[in-house]
Amino acid sequence: MTGRIASRVGLVLLVLFAAFPFYWAVVASFTPEATLFREPTLWPRELILEHYRALFAERDFLTPVKNSLIVAGTTTVFCVTIGAFAAYALARIEFAGKRVVLAFILAVTMFPQISIVSPLYMLLRGMHLINTYPGLVLPYVTFAMPLAVWLLVGFFRQLPPDLEEAAMVDGASRWQSFTRVILPLTGPGLATTAILTFIYCWNEFLFALSFTLGPERYTVPVAIALFRGQYQVPWGQILAATVIATAPVAVIVLLFQRRIVQGLTAGAVKG
Amino acid sequence: MTPIQPAPSRAPRPESEARTGWLLTAPALLAILVIALFPLAWTVWESLHEHDLRMPWLGRPFVGLGNYLTILHDARFWQALGHTALFAIISVTVELVLGLALALAMNRGFRGRGVVRAAVLVPWAIPTVVAALLWRFIFDSQAGIANVVLTNVGILHHPLVWFVHAATAWVPVILADVWKTTPFVALLLLAGLQSIDKELYEAASTDGASAWWQLTRITIPLLKPAILVALIFRTLDAFRVFDLIYVMTGGGPGTSTEPVALYTFNALLQNLEFGYGAALSVIIFLVTFALAMLYMRGLGLDLGGPRRR
Amino acid sequence: MRLLLLLPLLLTVSCTSGQPEDRRIVVTFSGSALGAEGELLTRHIARFEQANPGIHVRIQRTPDDATQRHQLYVQWLNARAGEPDILQLDVVWTSEFAAAGWLLPLDRWKPDAGAFFPSTIAANTWANSLFAIPWYMDVGMLYWRTDLLPHAPASMEELAADAHSARSRGVPYGIVWQGARYEGLVTSFVEFLGAFGGRILADDGRVVVDSPEAIRALTFMRDLLTSGAAPTDILTWHEEESRFAFQNGAAAMMRNWPYALTLLKSPTDSRVARKFAVAPMPGAPGGAPTATLGGGALAINAFTEHPDAAWKVVEFLTAPEQILDRSKLSGYPPRRALYDDPRLGEILPIPVPLARSIVEHAVARPATPIYSQLSELLQIDLHRALSGQLPPDRALHDAARDMNALVERTHVRELVAGSAR
Repeated sequence: MTGRIASRVGLVLLVLFAAFPFYWAVVASFTPEATLFREPTLWPRELILEHYRALFAERDFLTPVKNSLIVAGTTTVFCVTIGAFAAYALARIEFAGKRVVLAFILAVTMFPQISIVSPLYMLLRGMHLINTYPGLVLPYVTFAMPLAVWLLVGFFRQLPPDLEEAAMVDGASRWQSFTRVILPLTGPGLATTAILTFIYCWNEFLFALSFTLGPERYTVPVAIALFRGQYQVPWGQILAATVIATAPVAVIVLLFQRRIVQGLTAGAVKG
Repeated sequence: MTPIQPAPSRAPRPESEARTGWLLTAPALLAILVIALFPLAWTVWESLHEHDLRMPWLGRPFVGLGNYLTILHDARFWQALGHTALFAIISVTVELVLGLALALAMNRGFRGRGVVRAAVLVPWAIPTVVAALLWRFIFDSQAGIANVVLTNVGILHHPLVWFVHAATAWVPVILADVWKTTPFVALLLLAGLQSIDKELYEAASTDGASAWWQLTRITIPLLKPAILVALIFRTLDAFRVFDLIYVMTGGGPGTSTEPVALYTFNALLQNLEFGYGAALSVIIFLVTFALAMLYMRGLGLDLGGPRRR
Repeated sequence: MRLLLLLPLLLTVSCTSGQPEDRRIVVTFSGSALGAEGELLTRHIARFEQANPGIHVRIQRTPDDATQRHQLYVQWLNARAGEPDILQLDVVWTSEFAAAGWLLPLDRWKPDAGAFFPSTIAANTWANSLFAIPWYMDVGMLYWRTDLLPHAPASMEELAADAHSARSRGVPYGIVWQGARYEGLVTSFVEFLGAFGGRILADDGRVVVDSPEAIRALTFMRDLLTSGAAPTDILTWHEEESRFAFQNGAAAMMRNWPYALTLLKSPTDSRVARKFAVAPMPGAPGGAPTATLGGGALAINAFTEHPDAAWKVVEFLTAPEQILDRSKLSGYPPRRALYDDPRLGEILPIPVPLARSIVEHAVARPATPIYSQLSELLQIDLHRALSGQLPPDRALHDAARDMNALVERTHVRELVAGSAR
C-alpha cells in the first residue's frame, strides 16, 4: 500500500518538475518583459497578448515551423525504414563484419558536432545543397541513424529467436517473414524510435544554423535564435515561440503514445 | 532415431545469409558514409597538422602527433575533461535513476497516462538553447523565480548569486540537463519495460517476492539492453555537452564549468586553431569510444548480441 | 534570333535568387536586419539601388549574437564562399579576418579615412592596410541618476565616493557594470584601465596588462566589489542584466553601451525615465577618461565576384548622409565632420558636445588577429581576480604571462610592429 502511495507521490513530483519550467514559460510569454525582470511572481498579475501578436505579425513564424516539420518528418521516415532494415540484419542475421558495422555506426556519433560542422559545410556546399531541404535531411539522417539502429537492434533482439524459422517452415521467404511477422511485433520499438528521431531533428540547432541561409529554410531553433538582438533577449517572444513550437511535437507524441499502447495489447498482456 | 535437423530448404546457407545481411545493412551504411566520411577523415587529417587560420604565413606544417602532445600538457584541457566527467557522471546517474522511476510509474495502468507521458516529454521537445535560457532565467539572481521561491520557503536566507561560484553554478546546469533529457531515458526504459513478460511478475508475486526483489531480480536484469543503450547515448551526449553550458555559464566563473566541447569550440571557431581543435575532437571521440566499450564489458553485453546456435 | 530571345528566359528560369529580373549584378549584404535597424537598412539599400540601377543588393540576415555571426563567417570564408559579398563586422574581427586573407584591402578605392575618428580607423587597420570602413560607433558610457547625484563623477575617486553615498542612502547598488566571464568584462575593464593610464598592448606589441597602472585599475574594480559599492551579482551579468538593474531604479550608476538609452527613457517600462543622464567614464590620476570602442564596420569578402559593386555599396552606406540617418539608431556616427552638422543635434538623444566628448575618448581594443584569444585569456584572469579567487596582481601577471606566450608562439609581433595598440 505504501508502495502505491510513494509511487504516486513520486510521480506527481516528477510531473511537477517536468511541467513547472514550461508552466513558467507559458506564464512569462503572456507577461510584459519589464515586469518579468522587476518582480517575478509564480502567478501572473497581468496578461498580455503582445508577444504572440508580434510573433506572427512581425516575424513570419509559420514558415520555420513548416520547415522543421518537413525536415524532421522526412528524416524520421528515412531513419526508421532504413534503420529497421539494418537493425534487423544486425540483430537477427549472423554475418561476418557485423560487429565492426555496429561499432562504426556508433562511432560516427562520437565526434563533437562543432568539429564536424566546418568540413560538413564544405561538403554540402560542394554538393550545392546549402539552404535546401536535402541539405538538412542528409546530415540529420546520418547523425540520427545510429540511435535509431541501436534502439531497433535492441527491440529486434527481444523477439523470440525462432520466429523467422517458424514462418519459413510455412513457406515464407526471409523478406516476407521480416515484413509480415517481425515488423508488426516491433510496433512499440518503431514508434519509440520515430519519436526519438523526430525530437532530435526538431531540437537540432548547429547544423540548421550553418546549412540554411534564409528565412525560407530556417527551422524553429534557428528562427528563435534570430530573435535575439546584439544584447537583448526578447524573452516574451522567445517563450511565446517556444510554446507554439512545442505544440506540434506534443500532439505527435500523444498520437504515437496510442500506437505504443496498441502494440502492447496485441501481445496479450494487460496494459 | 532420426536426428532432428531442419530440412535444407529451411535453414539459410551462411553465404546467402551474409549477402542478405549486407544487403539490408547497406542503405543505412551508405547514408552514413556519404555524409560522415569526409568530415571525419578531414578532422583526423587536420589534427595532424598545425593550422591556424588567422596566420596563413605560418603555413600548415605536418606535425604528426604534435597537437596531441600539446593537449596532454595543457592544464586547461585536463580541467575541462574533469568538468565534463563530473557533469556526465552526475547527470547520467540522476537521469537513469529518475528515468527508471518515471518509466516504472508510467508503466502502471492509470487514467490520463497518455497525457502524463506527453506532458513529461515536453521538456525534451524544447530546443536546448531555449531550455538553457529558461533555466538561466529561473536561476537569475535578480529576476529568477528560484531565488524567490527558495527564500520564501526559507531554504535560503537571502538570494543567492548562483552563477558566481563554481559549486553553485553546476546546480542549475545539471538541473537543466536532467530536466531536459530524463524524458528520453524514461521513454527508452519504458519501451524496454513493456517488452518484459508480465507473467514473470505474476509468478514472482505468487511466490511471495517483494517489490524490491522483483525490481532487482526481474526488471533490471531484463532491462539491461535498454539501460545499455540509454547509458551509451546519454554519456555520449553528456561528453559532448556544449549548447547548454555555453548559454548558461559560458564556461564561467573563470573556466570552472567549461567542458571539453566548449573548449574545442573556442579553439576551432573562435580562435580559428583548426589543427588543435581537430585534435581535441579526436580525443573526445577516443574517450567516448573507450567509455562505450567499457559499458558493454561492464554490463556483460556483446556488440553482436547473443550468438545464434 | 529565337535563341537570343530564349536566353533571357532561360536565365530567369535558372536564376535561384527568385528575384523578378536580374540582369543586374547581385551582391549580398550580411548583417543586422532586426527591427528598426532592418527598416533603416532597407531604406538605404533602396536609395542605393535607385542611384545605381545596375546593382541589386540582397540582404542576408545573420544572427545578432556576436559569437554566432562570427562562427558563420568563419565557416563561409574558410570554405571560400564568394557570398555574402559585404560583411558587417564587429570592430574586433577585422584584423583576424584580414590576416586570414578573407577580406579585400580597401586602399585601391582610396577611401576617405581621414574623415573618421582615428580610433575607428586604427581598429580596422591591419598590416598598414585599411580593411573595413567604420559604420557606427558604440562606446562605453556612464549612466548616472540625476536625482541621487549632484553631477556626474569627475574622477574615479569621486565615482567610488558617489557609489558609497548612494548605498548609505538605501540604494541597493552603487554602480553596476558587465562582469560575467565574456568579452563585455574586457570592455568594462578597458575603461578602468585607461582611467589609470594602463594599456593592454605596448607599441611594440608586447602585452603590458600587468603594469602597475593596470594593477591599480583592477584593484580599484575589486575594491568596489569588496566594499559593497558594486554587488557581486554583476559577476554574472551581461549588458541586459545591468540595464534592468538600472532601469528598475536599483542602481545609482551603470556602465553600459548607448543602446540602453532609448530603453531607459521609456516612460512605461523604465522607473528612471526622467531621472538619469550619461557622461564619459571618468579618469584618475595618471590616466584619462576612456570609452571602449565597439560598433560595426563594413568589409568586402576577398572571394567576392563583384568587388567594385560591393565597394559602391559600402561607400554609399558609410557616406555622411546615410551615417547621419543611422544615428537615429543607438550608435554614434564615426565621421568627425558630422558633429559640426546642426542636424545631428536633432537626431542624437544626448547633446552633441557630450556625445563628442565621449567619442573622442574612444579607445580601440588591440587590433591583432589573435585578439579573441588574448581576450579570452584576459577574461579568465580578470574574472578570477574580481571573484576573489586570485589577488589582482597575481591575476594580471598570470594573464600577461599567458598572453605574451601566445604572442610569441604565433609570431604576430613581427608582422604587427607599429599597427598594434
